Amino acid sequence: VNLEDYRVLFFVGTLGLSLVAASPALSMAVSFGGGSERFSEFWLLDGLHRTEYYPFDVGVNESYGVFVGVGNHMGSSEYYRVFVKFRNSTQSLPDIDGSAPSSLSPLYEFRFFVGDGEVWESRLNFGFEDVALEGDRVVVGDVVFDGVVFGVDAIASWDSEFGGFYFQLFFELWRFDLASYGFRFHNRFVGLWLNVTVS
Amino acid sequence: MSVRETRRLSDVSVMSVSRLFFVLLILSVFAVPLLVPAVFGVDGEDVAVLAVDRAEAEVASAYEAVLDAEEAGADVSGLLAELNVAGGYLAEAHVWLGLGDFDNATRLADLCYDVVEGVEGEAFGLESEAHALGVTDSVVRMVGSMVGVVVVVFLGFVVWRVFRRRYCRRVLGLRPEVVSGES
Repeated sequence: VNLEDYRVLFFVGTLGLSLVAASPALSMAVSFGGGSERFSEFWLLDGLHRTEYYPFDVGVNESYGVFVGVGNHMGSSEYYRVFVKFRNSTQSLPDIDGSAPSSLSPLYEFRFFVGDGEVWESRLNFGFEDVALEGDRVVVGDVVFDGVVFGVDAIASWDSEFGGFYFQLFFELWRFDLASYGFRFHNRFVGLWLNVTVS
Repeated sequence: MSVRETRRLSDVSVMSVSRLFFVLLILSVFAVPLLVPAVFGVDGEDVAVLAVDRAEAEVASAYEAVLDAEEAGADVSGLLAELNVAGGYLAEAHVWLGLGDFDNATRLADLCYDVVEGVEGEAFGLESEAHALGVTDSVVRMVGSMVGVVVVVFLGFVVWRVFRRRYCRRVLGLRPEVVSGES
C-alpha cells in the first residue's frame, strides 16, 4: 500500500464521517424511511373480550354484549364512524369489491377519533323485543342497543339447512375523507349471525 | 244630542279601541311562538337537523385543524380526547334524530358543538407552538451538523498530516539508498 492509497482511504473515511455528522440536517430534507403499509384494523370480540363465546342462539328480552374495535395504522389521526345494521339473510351486505356499504339504514352508530398506532374499542349491549313466531317465520319487532329501542320489523324464514331463524348484526367502518369532506365506507365490516329463538 | 254627550261617546269609543288594541297586542305576543314556526316552516325536526349539521361541520373543521397541528409536530392527544367526547354526542344526536326524538337530538348536537367549539382554536395554538419549536429544532440541527462536518474535516486533515509525516519518516528512514551507474 503506497501513500496515494492511504490518501484515498483517508478521504473516503473523512467523507463518510462527514455524512454521519451531517445526518441530522440531511434528515430534514431526505426521508430514510421506506414507508409502511397504511390500513385500519376492525374487529369484533365477544362479551368476555375473547373470540370463543360470541352470542349465537339469542332469546327475547335478554341482553348480550360484544366489543367492537378499530386500530389505526393510517399514518395520522383518523376520524371514524361505525354503523350498526341489522338484516336477514336476503337483505344487502356491504360490497367490498365495489367499495359499497350495505343499502340498509343504520340503526346505531359510533363516532370517534383514533391517533396513529392507537386503538379504540367500545362495548355494545344488544337484545330483542317484540319477537313473534308466525308460521314458518320469525318477526323481530325491536332491537335494543344499549337500552335504546329501535323498531325494525325484520322477518326471517326457517332455514332448513342450518335449522334456525337467522339474522345478522353487522358493523360497517367508515372513515372521514378530507378530500371529499365527508365520510366514505372504509371497505371493512364485521358481523355476527344470530339464531333468534322464540320460547 | 248635546255637545257634552257627543264628547262622552267619543271618549268611550276611544277607550274601547285602545283597550281592544291592548288585548290584541297581548294575544299577539302569546301567539308569536305558535305562529312563527307555522309561517316559516320551522319545527322540531328542522331545528334538530340544523343543530346536527352545525355540530357536524364544527367537528369536521376541528378535526382538520387538529390534523394540521399533528402534521406540524404537536402532541394532539388532548385534543383527540375532546373530539372523542364531541363525537360521542354527535353519534347520539344522529341516533335520536333517526328515532324522531328531535329534542334529544338538538340537545346532544348542542352539547357536541359546545365541546368542540374551542378545539379548533387550541389546535391553531398548538400548531403555532409546534412550528416555532420546529424552527428552533431545524436551526439546532443545521448548526450542529455544520459544526460536526467542520470538526470531522479538520480532524481528518490533522490526522492525515500526522500520518503522512510518520509514513514518510518511516519509509525514507528504511532505505536511504542511491543506485548509481544506471543511465
